[in-house]
Amino acid sequence: MKISLNWVGDFVDISDKSAEEISALLSMHTAEVEGIEYSGANIAGVVVAEVLTCEQHPDADKLSVTTLNYGAEETVQVVCGAPNVRVGLKVALAPVGCVLPGDFKIKKAKLRGQLSQGMICSDSEIELSDASEGIKELPADAPIGARLIDYLELSDAILELDNKSLTHRPDLWGHYGFARELSAILKRPLKEYPSEFEWPAEASEYTLQLDDQQQTSCYQLTELSVGGGPQVSPEWMQQRLLAVGQCVVNDIVDVSNYVMLELGQPTHAFDKDKVSGKQISVRRATAEEGFVTLDETECTLMASDMVIADADKSIALAGVMGGANSEVDDTTTSILLESASFDATSVRRTALHHNLRSEASSRFEKSLDPNYTLSASQRVCQLLCEMRDDVKVDSAPVFAGSADVASERLTINVANVRTLLGIDISDQDIDQNLTALGFEVEANGDDMQVLVPSFRATKDIQSAVDLVEEVGRIAGYDKIVPQPLCAPIEVPKQLDYRRLASKLLMRLVNNHQAHETQSYSFIPDAWAKLQGLSCDDFIQIANPVNDAVSLMRQNPALSLLSQVPVNQREFPSGRLCEFTKGYAEDDENGEAIESRILAMLIWGPSDLPKSGQQSLVGQLRSVAADLTGLLNINAQYQVNPDDLQSRFGFAHPKQCLALSFARQSLGIISRVHPAVVSALGVDNSDVAVLLLDVDALVDAQAKTKFKFSSPPTFPAVKVDVALALPTGVDYAAAHNAVSAAAGKLLDQIELFDVYSGPGLKDGQHSMAFTVLLRASDRTLGDKEEQSFIQKVSKAAEQLGGNLRS
Amino acid sequence: MRERLEALCDAGLAAAAVAESVAQLAEVESSYLGRTGALTAQLKELGKLDAAERPAIGKLANEIKQQLQSSFEARRVVLKRQQLDADLASVGVDSSLPGPTVELGSVHPVMAIARELEEIFQSMGFVVWDGPELESEANNFDALNIPSDHPARESHDTIWMKSAPGEDRRCLRTHTSPVQVRALREFGAPLRVIAPGRVFRQEVQDATHEHTFHQMEGLVVGKDIGVPHMLHAMNSMLEGVFKRKLETRLRPGFFPFVEPGFELDARCPFCKDGCKVCKGSTWIELMPGGLVHPNVLTAAGVDPEVYSGFAFGLGLSRMAMLRYGIHDIRYMCSGDLRFLNQFQA
Repeated sequence: MKISLNWVGDFVDISDKSAEEISALLSMHTAEVEGIEYSGANIAGVVVAEVLTCEQHPDADKLSVTTLNYGAEETVQVVCGAPNVRVGLKVALAPVGCVLPGDFKIKKAKLRGQLSQGMICSDSEIELSDASEGIKELPADAPIGARLIDYLELSDAILELDNKSLTHRPDLWGHYGFARELSAILKRPLKEYPSEFEWPAEASEYTLQLDDQQQTSCYQLTELSVGGGPQVSPEWMQQRLLAVGQCVVNDIVDVSNYVMLELGQPTHAFDKDKVSGKQISVRRATAEEGFVTLDETECTLMASDMVIADADKSIALAGVMGGANSEVDDTTTSILLESASFDATSVRRTALHHNLRSEASSRFEKSLDPNYTLSASQRVCQLLCEMRDDVKVDSAPVFAGSADVASERLTINVANVRTLLGIDISDQDIDQNLTALGFEVEANGDDMQVLVPSFRATKDIQSAVDLVEEVGRIAGYDKIVPQPLCAPIEVPKQLDYRRLASKLLMRLVNNHQAHETQSYSFIPDAWAKLQGLSCDDFIQIANPVNDAVSLMRQNPALSLLSQVPVNQREFPSGRLCEFTKGYAEDDENGEAIESRILAMLIWGPSDLPKSGQQSLVGQLRSVAADLTGLLNINAQYQVNPDDLQSRFGFAHPKQCLALSFARQSLGIISRVHPAVVSALGVDNSDVAVLLLDVDALVDAQAKTKFKFSSPPTFPAVKVDVALALPTGVDYAAAHNAVSAAAGKLLDQIELFDVYSGPGLKDGQHSMAFTVLLRASDRTLGDKEEQSFIQKVSKAAEQLGGNLRS
Repeated sequence: MRERLEALCDAGLAAAAVAESVAQLAEVESSYLGRTGALTAQLKELGKLDAAERPAIGKLANEIKQQLQSSFEARRVVLKRQQLDADLASVGVDSSLPGPTVELGSVHPVMAIARELEEIFQSMGFVVWDGPELESEANNFDALNIPSDHPARESHDTIWMKSAPGEDRRCLRTHTSPVQVRALREFGAPLRVIAPGRVFRQEVQDATHEHTFHQMEGLVVGKDIGVPHMLHAMNSMLEGVFKRKLETRLRPGFFPFVEPGFELDARCPFCKDGCKVCKGSTWIELMPGGLVHPNVLTAAGVDPEVYSGFAFGLGLSRMAMLRYGIHDIRYMCSGDLRFLNQFQA
């Protein structure tokens, strides 16, 4: 919202303060000022001049050649196209060198051969009006050579307030509210709001009908005759309205806007002749009722919309906008002035639903003081009658409802105020600060009884702590001295899963080249089907940011996959990781389950081996082994478990592993199904993912006990064995067979070669292991080594192969 | 004999001094001290001397032998070093060549800030707590003193889950503030807690707006806690983050769950007299905060007559953007490695 400091100056003396000072005061005590505009600054070079001569241009019918005196030693010649230019007229001259709005610099020029040393300005050229005919005519007593902004008092500073910082303050939606704030901050008197108006004694013939007093606490209607119809507003009013960004229409509309910008209370004028009957009612709309607003928006009303209606039609959307059917126009000779208090929520919903946010609705949304309705009617009538002799209030206003606000008497304890604020403020200052803001204070020992004024009681001041804020902000938060907190020395409780997840995540980043990312919690509906699921299998968003993205993901695998395409061009392989959440409905108690998942996704060229250490799954298995090893968890791996694909629809049927510990699932490693990979726009790459259930890891770690063993006393025997086995026998089987053969003597076992080709039968492959055998109580001899080799040989035969010599 | 020995000594010392390589020196050494060397030959003749002469000449011969040996040794050290220096100088090396590439991972800038702040707050005795992202309307709004008709509850601000008629509504939490209430219910008062986490708003994405971002809630509840304690704690935290003291100020701000409410500004850490980050004002709006509203304490089961406290909310995504100069929030959830790999752990 914009406020003019000249306007504020009507109510409190701030003439000795610069705009910067006022802006800083308001920002520190009231609400955030986002910027200052200096109006008039853009026409500072324009001066008052008198037309000395005025001749017809020799070569152009519509141009005149004039000479002007603007207070300089020499007169200037200016070519002018306006029909109203004439000798003796006082005009606004932009001399050579002057810059007009729009960065328009005045230069010496020749117009059809005649020298022109400046420009005589119209209202619109110097932004005094939206439109104008001819050049601006100044009064005959305008002093030649004076700056126009000084003569017309156009110099003003406009503060732009952050609307968000005003939402809780219904009293700050007009200039008067800011004047009150400044009077409290500067400890200067505040002028009373000028709403004196003597109503005529005649009773109105209109009656009012309020259907729902919850929605409309009060409604006042005043009949006015406007004689010659709407006119152009006086210049001072136009200037003020334009300065704060309000467009100028005609005096009836302008006065209504002026009062709204001054006090905060919107009013509305209906053309009385267009209103049928003598009863105005405020009622709910009929569902599906059609309505055309005065900005010509066609709406279909909802039954919850409140309307103002005459005998046979709706004439306004309450608090939002008037109707085209009762609009004031050039032929209007009498008006009905509405000043009412509408329910904030109802107005907001109506404005939002019909996309009709107006200056009025944005104010009603703030819960305005109902008492404003009375002041606003009076002020509108006062201004109109002052401005024009042909405007007359026909009868006393009709009023329905009640402007009473349930103003509570709040009790504050002064000692408590001082403790909470940490400002050493006297009782007297507390009293003074509150009183200046309109509160009535009554001291009672250590307590103060505070009566909240109606303009603060509708919304923001509800309890004693609200008054603590009022006292503090007027006193100044800069008076608060920081003070250390005294608290017990205790080790704060922490969440195990957070600690563990950070440890693992840093391990991924520092040891496994992973890049930590963030991915969205919601996924496109289309991904349900990709995973063999339906949308109903997911928690669904009622109002998604994007209509096609309405599912809460069960796990982050595809979210991470969707981040691969942006990287593919520059990174043929890469690793992403994230500690994040999956979401599912708990069928038992209807609450959502949020599973904490540590995820790592890797991609690489599609010609990588599909199994073994180089393969993506192999790489992730190393990573998983490192992570579980870090936690001392001896994880078990199950290859291609039957249920894995049904739980993770993106999994590869033959390249997936389930991790577990003590029969509790810890997570999975899987290549992502190529169909899913290509559906997400990833080309020529293979992708694999590791998902670890962090809570399960916490449980597993809790069950694991570290056991120290002394460094071995006796040496180990190193034995290499190679087994030729049918290709159907996998590493896991071979590993188990060799381990079993070593029995209790097994110290270490490591695969060092996998081979197929010459020297082996068709359908065979060879796996070679280095095995360390060791006993804790003796040095092993040749006999034990031979016994082990024989057992391996027998095991190889049982697997359908043989020991290679 | 004596003359011959002394002549041999002089000649040997001279020969050693002019030997130009270790090999040459070895030859010289051998020609004096070797089995057929000149001095060796002289020593063999000692026996032929008179018994009276023998001890003196024998002593002299031995001295000369030792003198020659140590001179050859000294010369050898010099020549070896010369040889080594020459060898080193002659080998062609390019020490500017790089070593093997070490692939680095990276941390997410928002998470880096979050972890750093967690550490700072933990060191100040704060509990790090958490709450669900799918939150009940009661916790996200009601318990935080947000009126039932507040616009923030509308669907243009909050992302709601589908619900059956009559069912309690559930939303994606719009702030980390519900954890204030959850933590108080869990631990009671007194309490110091922070709650970092992901929050969601109905936003159209652009360079400064995201529907998914991160906040960190902070809450301190105890007896007689007021604004000065909040200011002190915030100053300490900022000193922890920026490694120096920053001037701060409080301005009025409105949030339903605190009263009084503030905006905390800090002197721009990036400039002295105005820059792009502080928009020339030399102040940066850092975080909202305030004294916990009594209604929030009541909703969390804490008696506001006995306890008071302060709460604050840090915009982690915003802080990361400020600290690293990231101008577009949409990079945060992009997964773009060219963005991510700039932030080292």
